Amino acid sequence: MSKNALIQTNVYGAAAETLRDNDRQWAAYESQGNCVVLAGPGSGKTKTLTIKLARMLAEDVLPPRGIACITYTRACAGELSHRLDALGVTESPRLFIGTVHSFCFQELVMPFGRLAGIDLPEPVAVATESDRSGIFAASLEAVHGRDEKPFDWLQRFGSFRRTNLDRYRDGFTPDDPDVAAVVTEYEKRLRKAGLTDFEQMVELGLRLVEEHDWVRKSLRAKFPILVVDEYQDMVPALDRLVRTLCFQEGIRLFAVGDPDQSIYGFQDASPDLLLELAKRKDVESVQLRLNYRCGQQIIAAAETALGQRRDYRSSKREPGSITIHKRPLGLEDQAKFIAEELVPKIVNRLPNGDPSDVAVLYRDYTTGSVIAREVQRCGWDFIRLDRGNPLPQSPFTDWLHDCAAWCAQGWKTGHPRLSRIIADWLGFHRYAPPDLDRRKLQVDLVCFLQAHRAPDEFAFQWLTRFRDAALDRYLTAGSLSRGEDENFAKLLKAFEPKGAFAAFTVRALGGQGGAKGHLNLMTLHNAKGLEFPAVIIPDLEQGRLPNYYALKDLAAHNDRQYREDRRLFYVGLTRSISEIHLLWSGWYQTKGFGKQNGPSQFLVEVAKAIGLPLG
Amino acid sequence: MHICRVEIINFRNFEHVVFGCGRNVVLLGENKAGKSNLLFALRLVLDPSLPDSARKLRMEDIWDGIENPGPDDIVKISIDLMDFEHDENQLALLADHLVQPEPMVARLTYVWEPRKGLKESPRKESDYDFNVYGGDRPENRIYGDLRRRLPMELLHALRDCEADLARWTRSPLRPLLDEAVKNMDAAELTEYAEKIEEASNALTEAIEIKEQAEKLDEQLRGMVGTNQALDILLRFAPVAPDRLVRSLRIFIDGGKRGVSDASLGSTNLLFFALKMLEYRQLVDEGDREHTFLAIEEPEAHLHPTLQRLVFRNYLRLRQEEGDEKLPEANVWVSTHSPHIASVAPIDGFVLLRSNGKTTTAVSSAQLKLSEKAKEDLERYLDVSRGEMLFARGVILVEGDAEKFLIPVLAKAQGIDLDESGIVICSVSGTNFGPYAKLLETLNIPYAILTDGDPDEDGVLNGLRRAEALLEKLYPDVKWDLPTWDQTDEAATAHGIFVNSHTFEVALYEGGLEQEFDSAMTSISKTGKRTERMAAWVLGIEEFDASQFLTDIEEVSKGRFAQRLAACIVESKTVCCPDYVQNAIKYVQERANPD
Repeated sequence: MSKNALIQTNVYGAAAETLRDNDRQWAAYESQGNCVVLAGPGSGKTKTLTIKLARMLAEDVLPPRGIACITYTRACAGELSHRLDALGVTESPRLFIGTVHSFCFQELVMPFGRLAGIDLPEPVAVATESDRSGIFAASLEAVHGRDEKPFDWLQRFGSFRRTNLDRYRDGFTPDDPDVAAVVTEYEKRLRKAGLTDFEQMVELGLRLVEEHDWVRKSLRAKFPILVVDEYQDMVPALDRLVRTLCFQEGIRLFAVGDPDQSIYGFQDASPDLLLELAKRKDVESVQLRLNYRCGQQIIAAAETALGQRRDYRSSKREPGSITIHKRPLGLEDQAKFIAEELVPKIVNRLPNGDPSDVAVLYRDYTTGSVIAREVQRCGWDFIRLDRGNPLPQSPFTDWLHDCAAWCAQGWKTGHPRLSRIIADWLGFHRYAPPDLDRRKLQVDLVCFLQAHRAPDEFAFQWLTRFRDAALDRYLTAGSLSRGEDENFAKLLKAFEPKGAFAAFTVRALGGQGGAKGHLNLMTLHNAKGLEFPAVIIPDLEQGRLPNYYALKDLAAHNDRQYREDRRLFYVGLTRSISEIHLLWSGWYQTKGFGKQNGPSQFLVEVAKAIGLPLG
Repeated sequence: MHICRVEIINFRNFEHVVFGCGRNVVLLGENKAGKSNLLFALRLVLDPSLPDSARKLRMEDIWDGIENPGPDDIVKISIDLMDFEHDENQLALLADHLVQPEPMVARLTYVWEPRKGLKESPRKESDYDFNVYGGDRPENRIYGDLRRRLPMELLHALRDCEADLARWTRSPLRPLLDEAVKNMDAAELTEYAEKIEEASNALTEAIEIKEQAEKLDEQLRGMVGTNQALDILLRFAPVAPDRLVRSLRIFIDGGKRGVSDASLGSTNLLFFALKMLEYRQLVDEGDREHTFLAIEEPEAHLHPTLQRLVFRNYLRLRQEEGDEKLPEANVWVSTHSPHIASVAPIDGFVLLRSNGKTTTAVSSAQLKLSEKAKEDLERYLDVSRGEMLFARGVILVEGDAEKFLIPVLAKAQGIDLDESGIVICSVSGTNFGPYAKLLETLNIPYAILTDGDPDEDGVLNGLRRAEALLEKLYPDVKWDLPTWDQTDEAATAHGIFVNSHTFEVALYEGGLEQEFDSAMTSISKTGKRTERMAAWVLGIEEFDASQFLTDIEEVSKGRFAQRLAACIVESKTVCCPDYVQNAIKYVQERANPD
């Protein structure tokens, strides 16, 4: 074994010692074959996964072969690569870390697509959200006329593409020919525009793997081990991909997930896929039971919300506190209460309290907008993660936040690392035309960053300078991903003098991934995987959570959405380290009408189970 | 794994060459044909020890035929690899670079091209940049890590072997001994070291030795004073346990002689063997997946016998059906040594030819022959020292008689076959097919001389043979030859020349009666055969072709031919049968068009 490998051994070896006391974590760490880790909230699953991955990369797979680590969201991939970095493991040709989409694109479609006769435009770009909706609307009109509203078709359309994975095969007959025709038209137009999209990448990736021996063989040679995180979120195509690669081709699987946190049903993910996987005879299934995050009372409340007993144990002595607040005057009232009373109280009470210790979690951006308005009025700095966020979120803008963080303090502290920023920057240009001068690309970036380490400069000024010194040339050259130029323009606009975030400095911009001083506002979906000392969940009305559709389906004996809503609430509750505040009014506004349905039944159940008044 | 195809565009003396190749390659060509350039081209793609500054070419590296390179004049070198799919490590390395899925072929490409943003035509080196990429996808760049795992190593003429063997840092013995140390018990090693230390001390302490050391010390002190004293001690190599094994050296002849006493040839043999072991070990240890070994003109320092010894077994090693383990290294040897060419695998030749302006490359890799025919050809090349491969033109004949006589007949016509680079090559029979195919593949001009051998009906078997050959050599041509005359005409047009009986009869009837008579007489003054020959020549008896041949065969065709050749030289006759004359003309025109 080379010297380097030995040093690496020591890093993850030392980290592994922290798993030893938890027999379940240790069992996962010691697993030899296929292994599925069922991991409840706060059970240290990411830690277990990253340490195990570091070990497998050092001990089980020798160069030039490696490991592919797939997850569902970009944020999650970023977190994994950050955690692995601390273990001395960085991305390389031997280690892929990324979303299922980028895996399919980078590791399947690009190297093998052309050889397998897949007719992709060349060069191919990834469609932006506006490309997609434009092409979708045009396709719908072309097939069904201009009276149809895109919104009414969107869910069926997406679902059809995600679930009819055999539609390229001969003899396939669609059960919904109306949608099938739109899909065919959409894909035709997509191709004509020189574009592909996420659904297509995954579908093509699956097709390559299912249809061609040599693709599977090549993939197995490169990646004899496949690691999947957040398995419960995986779309059906990925589940099939994993099954083909692991149980047909013999790639070793290490998957982690929590069926109870499966909340992407609207994208056809289902907790059952993971549960089936865990039941297989050729898979070692490990259930992590100890919760390091939440107190016992919070666990009890969460399991009540879920409607299932899990018998998770807390590692903590403090039970955690839950308070229910009734604000009869509606959502605005709740928002005002949060901004004026709740947050200041929590911040003052917490040791070294800071607004960033508090998260307000909600179902969707309409609620987010109400909260944001009040929070802003009261002068809180905040980070908002939902569709109403004026700050665009993309790999490139995330990277800009990293650059700002480096200029604010990273150059002193080493977080984020400059090498990482450079690697990402070069990575954006992976498919750029070969005449791009990569040396200059790097020099331009480093020169700018080096010269602009000014934490107190206004973000707008800093971004403008950044654009003029380095970014512009590459944004306009079209070598960055499609749509990133628009994202940049949007970002810049938000920081304009008189813009929504005019007061933002480089330091604040750099903190956009969890900065000190910033209150967190985000959807329940975006909160997955995160934790906060204090969690506030407003808008707990019957008809909102569970929502109207879930209740309607339930009445028709279809509890799919209803159970998913339970899981959504469960995810929200389990984000909390020490305290939870639950808010309700008993009524809510919809389409201009007030609905008087009383408090969420989930909330009522929780209150009853732990003996709390409803406020 | 092996390189199965090479394409070079606009590099030095190569305008555009593309050729296929087998497992091991012997690169043949006259001086300045570009053998070294070709190996360098491969190294641009594969050699990790070549710095990037060497991958930046100079203006004079662009093909000589381009005076003012334009934006589209790109230097491009592509190497295709195959036979790696059964090894998962190799596949892991090459999976991203496939250009063909079944069977898998991966392509690695080096380009030296003008920068895209250039406003005008490129004028200087800095207007260019290089890119190395895989799978025909320029964005799929290849960096040093791939080259390090699939390196091409260049051995300049095997000459410094002895120095390399002696110097620890460069010795190919080093990795083997390091491996041994790794597997040894440390305590055991320490024990050996102590024992040696003990023995060494005992010897050093022996009074006779000590005296000599002191003598030397004293002498030094006298010369340079005590300050500069060197503190002389007579003893063995340092005995620290970890260095103990490293101080082991190779001895030959059962330990009697060290490597420095070995012949240059044996040292080379040893060196080559150690290299091969090293490559295997590097693969076993996971440091690399494969090695391409390029050897430039090994003949410079290797005795012909050793050239044949070293390379015969190694180069001709063929992949047997069902062999799991492929060799860890392929060899590319450039040479103009017939000794090496003669032991090369028949499908492993790459022939470079230059006409002063441009260079062509042909390869024998696509030679379609049965395994048996290949072995026959290899045997032939072996005994004939591969002369056919170095010829500008070849005349294929049935036996030794033609081999002895045709040069003499040609000389009488004023043609020196040696000077013309034309070689007469006997196939010892009539199985011309494999030879002709090899020459056809290598694009070497050739003619075939074969006997008519009429059957009972007077039809010439030679023409039947010629027709079969035509069909075999030109399978794409639809042969429509209803009459024997047409067959003869077609055969002649394709360089197959048939006489009406046999070679000897053709000579005899072609005006060499006197010389036959003299030859027979010089072999035996009296006897039935001599009498018969004289009677035919004088016209006393009617010529009996079959008796004539029997008589010659009884003497031995070869011996008779040698004698006849001497007689022809002596008589200065210019007689030569037409079909022989035509064949010589046919090859001469093609071999030496000027």
